[in-house]
Amino acid sequence: MNPLDKPYAQLALAVLAVLVLPLFLKSGILATEILIFAMVVAACNLLLGYTGLLSFGQGIFFGIGTYAAGICLTRWQIPVPVVLASAAVLGAATATLVGWLSIRRQGVYFVMLTLAFSQLFYFVAYTFSGVTGGDNGLLGVPRPSVGGTALNAPWSYYTYVAVCFVAVFAILVMVTQSTFGRTLLAIRENEGRAAAIGFPTKLFKLEAFAISGAVTAFGGALHAMLIGVAPLSNIEYHTSELILIMTIIGGSSSLFGSVLGAGFYLLLADALSTVWPRWLLLLGLVLVTVALFLQRGLWGLVERGYDLVFRRERAPETPAEEH
Amino acid sequence: MIYLFQVLNGIGLGMLYFLLAVGLSVIFGLLQFVNFAHGAFYLLGAYLTYDLTMRGFSFWAAMPLATLIVAGIAALIEALLLHRIYKLPHTFHILVTVGLALVVQELVIIAWGPLGGSVPAPEGLQGVVILGDFIYPQYRLFTIGFTAVLAGLLWWLLEGTRLGAIVRGGSELPSNMALLGYNTLRINTAVFGFGAGLAGLAGALAAPIRGVEPFMGIEALSVAFVVVVIGGMGSYTGALVAGLLVGVVQSVMTTLWPEGARLMIYVGMALVIALMPRGLLGRA
Repeated sequence: MNPLDKPYAQLALAVLAVLVLPLFLKSGILATEILIFAMVVAACNLLLGYTGLLSFGQGIFFGIGTYAAGICLTRWQIPVPVVLASAAVLGAATATLVGWLSIRRQGVYFVMLTLAFSQLFYFVAYTFSGVTGGDNGLLGVPRPSVGGTALNAPWSYYTYVAVCFVAVFAILVMVTQSTFGRTLLAIRENEGRAAAIGFPTKLFKLEAFAISGAVTAFGGALHAMLIGVAPLSNIEYHTSELILIMTIIGGSSSLFGSVLGAGFYLLLADALSTVWPRWLLLLGLVLVTVALFLQRGLWGLVERGYDLVFRRERAPETPAEEH
Repeated sequence: MIYLFQVLNGIGLGMLYFLLAVGLSVIFGLLQFVNFAHGAFYLLGAYLTYDLTMRGFSFWAAMPLATLIVAGIAALIEALLLHRIYKLPHTFHILVTVGLALVVQELVIIAWGPLGGSVPAPEGLQGVVILGDFIYPQYRLFTIGFTAVLAGLLWWLLEGTRLGAIVRGGSELPSNMALLGYNTLRINTAVFGFGAGLAGLAGALAAPIRGVEPFMGIEALSVAFVVVVIGGMGSYTGALVAGLLVGVVQSVMTTLWPEGARLMIYVGMALVIALMPRGLLGRA
């Protein structure tokens, strides 16, 4: 095993990312967005990389969290920590429902179902515009305040989100290291065998879905407070697509890969979208390239780079486990 | 009377959904390949029809031409790119085809702008049919008849011809077809082009009804998924039944609850999955 894949290394890398982002980025908003998507993408990776479930519906939970924050904060004066907690609970509940229906089918049917459900929830948000604001979204979502002062400066909100991010990332690392996480890996490798040993595999998948949904909705709520709006676009097909793309680009074999995936996508989008509005054309080509030449994603590159630098003297056949 | 009108609309719409779903299904059946770019081929078919009619071509020339161009482009993509990734896990099929769909969508916006447009009903079908107090647009009636004939042809092609036997044989065990001496590479390319061409044709036929806009592909993709999930992948009858059902539900709901019509497609799907996890016809 590559030492970078160890749980403490993953957590250390996440903390490092939090500290490094402010040094390189001028925009606190962009840096905050990267951290929010990093946790959301890691939650998608819990399903894709650790359970073998390719969910095209993560935007549902992101949007649910966004609307939970939007509604609670603009209509009622509910304290932000309570809002974040209820967004997570709501996300978990929705994910349990969507998961319960989607897990009934396997393989590609599962993927198609999650995509269809993302459309379902989009049309719910679009149709009931009295609650969600429809196309306009919910405007005027306030930032949280700590000790009586609102975190209106971008970098002070960054700190708030950074604390949340590290906590969520640590939880996800702990989940993947637990017996529960190991069982998910067993299900990914061979569901039939895991079921034959006696694991209730559907229940495990459902729990993974609930955790993923909770984290994603939590991120969605943070995002609404970042941009000050709860927009319809957060529950659209595109958000689901975006989260999945970031997950695969980052590499599904490591949670920190997801942080890389989110950072890579958002930095690329930030650099290109102002220069060339049709930059998604390039993104499409990037996706094809990743599938052909970079199947382990950016994390695969990191692992290869690490091996090159620190193990140059070793023959490539040497098993890494000796370390 | 309004319901008869909407049921007819629904049948027309449902037949287009059927064409989309059969294309998706044929590709998946033979190649075990999930084509997330299917909606993009529908989009391209619609825009090519739009473009050709704008250039003064008759719709009757534009529709088959658009279909053939889409099929050709798809076959080219298959031969150059997709056949390299069949052996990879589904994740990468999805990644590549999502990427292709993005490329097509952006190219469409570059070529024709982000706003979309409308395609007039073809000459000769611009009026309405009047039967007593029943009035119905001629073009919509034409799509129902035309797609019904197509559906018959497709059935014959898949069930009654050597080509269909090859496709069905290949979807059961690809290596067998190679052992029998068929050039499976070329068959794969042809079938992919054929399936994508059906999506292009659905787009061409839909253009005079709903107009064109750059994001119509995603909607078509998800509706095709709904049809396939309800009806079963690889099932001709399933696609037909589910396609018609979805079309009729959507149309009738347009009268009952206009804002919620498209929502009801997905609610209906969720109900079917909750009650009958294996879909309506209970296969796969």
